[in-house]
Amino acid sequence: MSAASAPRGGSIISVRGVTKRFGDFVAVDDLSFEVAPGSVFAFIGANGSGKSTSIRMMIGILAPSAGEIELDGVDVIRHPRRVRERIGYMGQKVSLYTGLTLRENVEFYAGLHGLAGAALEARWSALRERFTLIEAERERPENLPAGIRQRAGLALATLHQPRVLFLDEPTAGVDVRSRALFWDLIQDESDAGVTVFVTTHFLEEVDYCDWVCFIEEGRLIANAAPDELRARFGGGYEIELELAEGDRGAAPALRGALARDGVAVAGDEATIRIHAAALDDAVLAPVARAVAAHPGSRVRVDPPEMVDVFRRMLS
Amino acid sequence: MSHAPAIRLQGLVKRFGARTALRGIDLVLEGPQLVGVVGPDGAGKTTLLRSIAGLLEIEAREARVLGFDLHADVVPLKARVGYVPQTFGLQRDLSVLENLRFTARLHRIPEAELRRRADPILESTKLLPFLDRPAGALSGGMKQKLAVANALISDPELLVLDEPTAGVDVLARDAILSLLSERRDRVLILISTSYLDEAAVCDRLAYLDDGQVVACDTPERLRAAVPLDLYRAWGSDPRAIARAARALPYVSAARASGRFARVEIPHERNPGSSEVDAGLRSLRGVGLVERVPVDTESMLLHLARAGGGGSFEAAA
Repeated sequence: MSAASAPRGGSIISVRGVTKRFGDFVAVDDLSFEVAPGSVFAFIGANGSGKSTSIRMMIGILAPSAGEIELDGVDVIRHPRRVRERIGYMGQKVSLYTGLTLRENVEFYAGLHGLAGAALEARWSALRERFTLIEAERERPENLPAGIRQRAGLALATLHQPRVLFLDEPTAGVDVRSRALFWDLIQDESDAGVTVFVTTHFLEEVDYCDWVCFIEEGRLIANAAPDELRARFGGGYEIELELAEGDRGAAPALRGALARDGVAVAGDEATIRIHAAALDDAVLAPVARAVAAHPGSRVRVDPPEMVDVFRRMLS
Repeated sequence: MSHAPAIRLQGLVKRFGARTALRGIDLVLEGPQLVGVVGPDGAGKTTLLRSIAGLLEIEAREARVLGFDLHADVVPLKARVGYVPQTFGLQRDLSVLENLRFTARLHRIPEAELRRRADPILESTKLLPFLDRPAGALSGGMKQKLAVANALISDPELLVLDEPTAGVDVLARDAILSLLSERRDRVLILISTSYLDEAAVCDRLAYLDDGQVVACDTPERLRAAVPLDLYRAWGSDPRAIARAARALPYVSAARASGRFARVEIPHERNPGSSEVDAGLRSLRGVGLVERVPVDTESMLLHLARAGGGGSFEAAA
């Protein structure tokens, strides 16, 4: 890993007051946010909201009209070339060369990063195993299904072990099964310490991320942890605890116990209803204790859907 | 009901040169209802929708749409179908109103009638203030709302929409879905989508894979047929919980989602609910274990596995 200077304020990407104008059109308007190292960061917005333009500035291929961007300690605007080794990028159209087999694509990309011989062999054999690409290796990308092409694209983007992965709508146009596999891989990368910056318009995918930034017409609308948005715009969680038929006499005592633990309770004798802005241990632990102490009871948690959270945020 | 179904396709095949996009579609649909056409990329969704709209020459043992034979003259069928293609198909240099007027004239709808039909649609989609704006200058969401509005102008008996909501914001998606929902008990509507929440609200889903209809039923029945139990293990570190859950012998998949790990357990491996409950609860960091009904994602995942969708062999 390169010896990068520690990023300011503990973040690996720092975007400050970034604006991009194309003539009269303001594509990105005074954007500021920080990305924590090792996190999965969701960058959300409709088509044309400025997501791709922002990414192109963050990876140093498009100069902003104003503002500062720092990535892994590098000033992206002053030293755009220096960020290249630190990042991996996968665009909406996976950039695999048709006519070359996947294996030949791997060798080509590896060559760009000076990766060859035993080092390449070790890296690639681990990747193809983990990304289930062994069968696909001898095929040309044009003969592969979209989902496998997508995985191959991610494998290539991460070949040189970048610190930050930029994935621009990686799950568009692939089926739900490939989408699920892809998110498993993204979470694995993050667990291994890689920062993943990902755009999507499937709002349920926000819940697979640690942080979400929402932009509309180039402007930042929200910048928070998914559960924080849920608390602010989704009305929080509803939990229902239903006691077994022979155990309903225990409800008042249980309600009292939960209340003493600081949990807000309501409901009738058979069912205990709990409302919580966030579902942290302060709520989970007492509810779990209650469930454990009352065998046969059923618990139901109703988290607001991310789609509804965004619906309320926008209207 | 004794009348013929609105759509009756038997052994429908569509070839493009050497490539076979549809390899024997069997599909019978009654109207009116909202039908979601789902399945992996390249499964043939667009080709099927275009065939049904009378836009392609096809081969079939039987292919009738609204009583018209797809092998014969489809001009009268096309007059009864509202079609929204995947890519924006309206005139970019004509304004919102001019585009609608153009469509109205093709269908010989007088101006007064056009406004009577269009105004409520333009009102509910918030397009009314933009009547004079060129279609090419609209945002992505407004363009799609206009495309759907345009397909509704002729009051079609059959609506065919190819991913009308792809890539637009959630409010534009809502506006489009509510236009369709208002008509689902009067008109047969076919819509392809890759959004799980949209698939969930359809009356019926047709799942396509590799040019064939693998399943066609209500979302409820399709969910009930999934041989899988779904659990949520709530805790402060859902990623760690998901990793630990994957190591349990009876778990087939686990992923962190929000504050819980979403855990799938196939019926044939399920050792019983009390053991699963105890097993998940014993994982480090798990606060609460909840069994939940099979959701749309699990249902589509199951259909994808059953159909072999996305498998390497399918494309080779």
